[in-house]
Amino acid sequence: MDRDELLVRYNYDSFVPEKFGPWLRFDESPPLGAKIPDFPLWTLDGDETSLIEIIAQNAYTVAEFGSFT
Amino acid sequence: MNAVADKYAAHGVGSVFIYTNEAHPGEYYPHLTSMEQKFRHARDLRDVLGVKRPILVDSLDGACHRAFGSMPNMTWIFNKAAVPVYKSDWTDANSVANALDYFLDVLKRRRSKERLAPFRVERLDYRNQDREQFYAGLARNGEKAVREFRAAFG
Repeated sequence: MDRDELLVRYNYDSFVPEKFGPWLRFDESPPLGAKIPDFPLWTLDGDETSLIEIIAQNAYTVAEFGSFT
Repeated sequence: MNAVADKYAAHGVGSVFIYTNEAHPGEYYPHLTSMEQKFRHARDLRDVLGVKRPILVDSLDGACHRAFGSMPNMTWIFNKAAVPVYKSDWTDANSVANALDYFLDVLKRRRSKERLAPFRVERLDYRNQDREQFYAGLARNGEKAVREFRAAFG
């Protein structure tokens, strides 16, 4: 899948099983107990940070994933 | 989840919200096509829905979200070494608070020199399922979101 197709498929335009279903891969998510890879993230001010940079700031970090919808 | 963040902040627990794709796109909040739009929706999450925790926006292709399984409203807890110690395919404040109580106690036990070894556990937790409130949320996205959810799940 090239990047353009990925952008369209990941940001699906309709909540129909054939569009959202393929993305639900919790069973394939990283295991507990092993260090995670890092990812860039952006604050609402547009400043770039990273997941591990954020996590390193506290003994524990709770990360909720979601959106407005 | 805001209340959980407030309650545990003084105990060395950080809380963030990672902004993903739109799970239920509607007329008012359609699917994402640009980072500008993604930032706009994320600001509305703060300003309209009242998420007080720091909101971090994922890339438009959802690299972070996809790497963790792409569930629409999941929660993970990481320790300082970037090791996940809890992962839940749905977000429930009671479940998260319960886990944090346990992990904060682990820190205490370590400080008291107790020798501890990690092990894995699976558990089925239970969340409140308020369909009326859920549909009210979908309606905020637009009638399309309501229609599509009803078609998919009734």
